[in-house]
Amino acid sequence: MDFQAYNKILICKDDIRNVRVGDAVLGYEFKIKYPSYRGAFLSCIEALSFEVDGKPVPAGEVSFRLNGKDFLLSELPECFKEYWFVRAPATVFVRIPGGIEPGEHSLRVTMRHRVPYTGYFGQYLTLLSDVTETRAAH
Amino acid sequence: MNDIKLGISLYSFSTEFIHEKLDFEGILKKAHDMGYQGVEIVAAQMVPEYPYPSDEWLAECKALLTKYELEPVCWSAYIDMGIRGDRDLTEEEIVQFTVNDLIYAKKAGFPMVRTQHAISPKIFREMLPYCKQLGVKLTIEMHHPHHPEVPVWKEYFEIMKGEGRGWLGFVPDFSIFQTMPHKLYLDQAISFGCRPEKLAEIVELHRQKADYSVVANGDFNEIEKHTAEEMFGKFSAPAKMEQWKDMIDCAFYMHGKFYYLDNDDHDPCIPFEEIVAEVKRLGYKGYIASEYEGHHFDETIDSEEQLRHFVALMTKNLEK
Repeated sequence: MDFQAYNKILICKDDIRNVRVGDAVLGYEFKIKYPSYRGAFLSCIEALSFEVDGKPVPAGEVSFRLNGKDFLLSELPECFKEYWFVRAPATVFVRIPGGIEPGEHSLRVTMRHRVPYTGYFGQYLTLLSDVTETRAAH
Repeated sequence: MNDIKLGISLYSFSTEFIHEKLDFEGILKKAHDMGYQGVEIVAAQMVPEYPYPSDEWLAECKALLTKYELEPVCWSAYIDMGIRGDRDLTEEEIVQFTVNDLIYAKKAGFPMVRTQHAISPKIFREMLPYCKQLGVKLTIEMHHPHHPEVPVWKEYFEIMKGEGRGWLGFVPDFSIFQTMPHKLYLDQAISFGCRPEKLAEIVELHRQKADYSVVANGDFNEIEKHTAEEMFGKFSAPAKMEQWKDMIDCAFYMHGKFYYLDNDDHDPCIPFEEIVAEVKRLGYKGYIASEYEGHHFDETIDSEEQLRHFVALMTKNLEK
């Protein structure tokens, strides 16, 4: 049960923000951090999914933004040269016309991730970070 | 004055660092204010451009250490074998990471790199010429669940005592002496659904060296069984004090690992009194890092207060 306290940093305190481009609201975004004491190679993320108000966010509508680049969630396992610094928030951009209703929402982030140096006797420790927080959108 | 000095792994301030209460410089200042001199940095944690820090950052790091009158002791590296999901790191990749860490350590002013057991005896040996060229020592951490009798360590000690003498060494982490779970671990187990009286029963069974099957077949819920399985697996093969004498000549540095202290005198989990007495008796000269690791379990605990307990406990024993 090592590592469990680090889940507290997974969902950043920042509000959910509707993303406007010109007059159009193209979706919304929120910030997450890697839940550990150190950073990780993105390829160690085996699964990452989101729920808003109890409804799953389709993976195809998500861009994961880090280090000045956009990644598809399905690309993360291939990103073995991309390091997620433990204090660097990643932005999760969800495309949905009109964005999200202003006010409070329940946000759930579920990440399954491999600790790449724990193969002590040939088996990697895989952690499940499953956190739900309430965040305001505007 | 003692030949043994207390240093600090900046990793002890993980809670403050990841919750953004202290930044890198803030932690260096804190270490200085607490009276520490020797410091260790975990690069994968605190180096913003990791694993490819710029010369500018490394020079800035060196300058900050000078500013806060801190002595760079150890640059801590990882062998992240499982970076990729499809295969482990290759030898070429491990060499590349390790040579890079030796270079970064040199540029930031650190005389030693601490790496991990997964480096393999072959690559460990191959690093010797780089160590000599750069004037940087390379050490492997012996951390729980490893202990001196894990087979690969026989090979490592042969290298350290042979061709690598003086350059290739090891860093014993006091977790290898841990005999029972610490308070934060037990508190967390209760928060996950262990009934306190059942957990106490499990701790007692473990203390009596009972077999895990007693729990597996007993009146315990799933989370209690899971906790017991982890506890019996983790804390049942502590290293022995008599093993120090055969390996201490290879110890360039030590990790004074601890998880939780509520006083300045004693920890029921790790026998610091015995460890200090034995390494003193054997003539160890060098740093023991204060390495607080309770942040894995509870982020509400004040790291500085924990470190103060540790310094008091260790100082008493070092001065005995």
